[in-house]
Amino acid sequence: MSIKLQNVNYIYGMGTGKEKQALSDINIEINNGEFIGIAGHTGSGKSTLVQLLNGLERATSGDIFYNGQNIYSKSYNMRNLRSKAGLVFQYPEYQLFETTVINDVQFGPKNLGLPQLEVELRSFNALKMCGIDDSLLDVSPFALSGGQKRRVAIAGVLAMQPEVLILDEPAAGLDPAGRDEILGLLKKLHNENNTTIILVSHSMEDIAAYVDRMVVMNKGKIVLDGKPEKVFQFEKELEQIGLGVPQAARIIHQLKDAGADIKGEPVTTDESIEAIYKWLKGF
Amino acid sequence: MVIFMIRDITIGQYYASDSVIHKLDPRVKVVCTFAYIISLFCFSQLSGYIIAVLFFWGITKLSKVPFKFIVRGIKPILFMLVFTAMLNLFWTSGGNVLIKIGIITITEEGVKRTVFMALRLIFLIVGSSIMTLTTTPNQLTDAIEKLLKPLNKLKVPVHEIAMMMSIALRFIPILVEETDKIMKAQLARGADFESGNVFQRIKSMVPIIIPLFVSAARRASDLALAMDARCYNGGEGRTRMKPLKYNGQDIAAYLIMALYITVIIITGRYLPL
Repeated sequence: MSIKLQNVNYIYGMGTGKEKQALSDINIEINNGEFIGIAGHTGSGKSTLVQLLNGLERATSGDIFYNGQNIYSKSYNMRNLRSKAGLVFQYPEYQLFETTVINDVQFGPKNLGLPQLEVELRSFNALKMCGIDDSLLDVSPFALSGGQKRRVAIAGVLAMQPEVLILDEPAAGLDPAGRDEILGLLKKLHNENNTTIILVSHSMEDIAAYVDRMVVMNKGKIVLDGKPEKVFQFEKELEQIGLGVPQAARIIHQLKDAGADIKGEPVTTDESIEAIYKWLKGF
Repeated sequence: MVIFMIRDITIGQYYASDSVIHKLDPRVKVVCTFAYIISLFCFSQLSGYIIAVLFFWGITKLSKVPFKFIVRGIKPILFMLVFTAMLNLFWTSGGNVLIKIGIITITEEGVKRTVFMALRLIFLIVGSSIMTLTTTPNQLTDAIEKLLKPLNKLKVPVHEIAMMMSIALRFIPILVEETDKIMKAQLARGADFESGNVFQRIKSMVPIIIPLFVSAARRASDLALAMDARCYNGGEGRTRMKPLKYNGQDIAAYLIMALYITVIIITGRYLPL
């Protein structure tokens, strides 16, 4: 299962005299089972890009291949694509609408036309995975706390069992515990089900701690693409586009610049602590 | 597709420019538009129409609004226009008979009345278009508030009504954007808004309508709280950042309008054609 974008351009407001190029000449291949982070400043085109990936928006020019099939060819079933590439929008709790939590989660799988038993099974599993207690199943989703709502909304997409899960700022507005819970859930999904995960975020800390590959966007273009530790080498470039690197990585860079003999390229806080500890022990 | 249509809705039809007409006090524009509409019914002969057209043409030139924007205003009433024209054409008797096929008779008087009626309707619409094209919705509510102020004496809450109007206008684009977002989110969950019969389609709107209402209620209560926090307590003793004030060109505009009305009335009375 791979997604491949070829020379993709996207222009907002075609023919209104107020055209704005949101994406220009995007070429990228996302492989099966990758946990990929997309970072970029506000307005860099990340949200537009993820909406192209599941066919909600149509590229102005260029092609997108899903498992080698062109999704813009006439015979391609767009609804089928949407069931395979699950997209969790920013603040997904605002799309809850059903009378009970379980009904809301069932909305997605029901739309797939699955038998009722399968729908229920998937919904229960998704809710369990998202850490929603069984006692909450028959509660109105509007009565839940913010973090719980968010998890129910994510469960609504997970219940469709997508091959690719795309999340646009899933941790925005959550407290640190809620953020760790949701990102931990993604890690689990990735490890256990081998789901391809595309995480859009502007928190470099989150990206550093969870993803295997990192794509940095600026002004509608992909500027950096690679493993986080490699991408974070470009501290100056990242700062220029208003992103910066995780605090821990910055300290490491500064220590190295000052002549410290630190091995490797630690990016997360834990890795950095360990590296600094090792370096200090060497004295 | 539905989502693309929703994005194209534009509310109000303000055309930004820096013409004399744009700079006029919005009250002048409201009053003069009313006067112009009334003037259209003060004459019934060709000379009156010529003066009304010339006057309108002059205002349009001054406003710098492209002609096609003005014509666009006619589109929504096209059906009504054709319908009234037909009625007038077939059901007016008197004058020479021009065509007679079966029960359908078209008379000279009928043709004349049809043309004049259509012209009147068209100018009624485009005349008010000029106002909405050159005045922002907020300016309009300001003007209406100021003009209706005397009604305060009759215990009509003019300020509150105007405030509600401007809040409603302010929220339309926000809610349109919100609808677009919710629609996409439900599409991503496999929702189908386009197939099925009417009832199925109405039912498929539920996943959009409910989150939309919830978010509108949330926004409304946030806004109320924010207004409270800034000690808002209605129109009593409230001053404005940009108070409406008449200046030289506004007075001039009123005078020109008065002149136009006089000319229209005089021609209506004394010119035979």
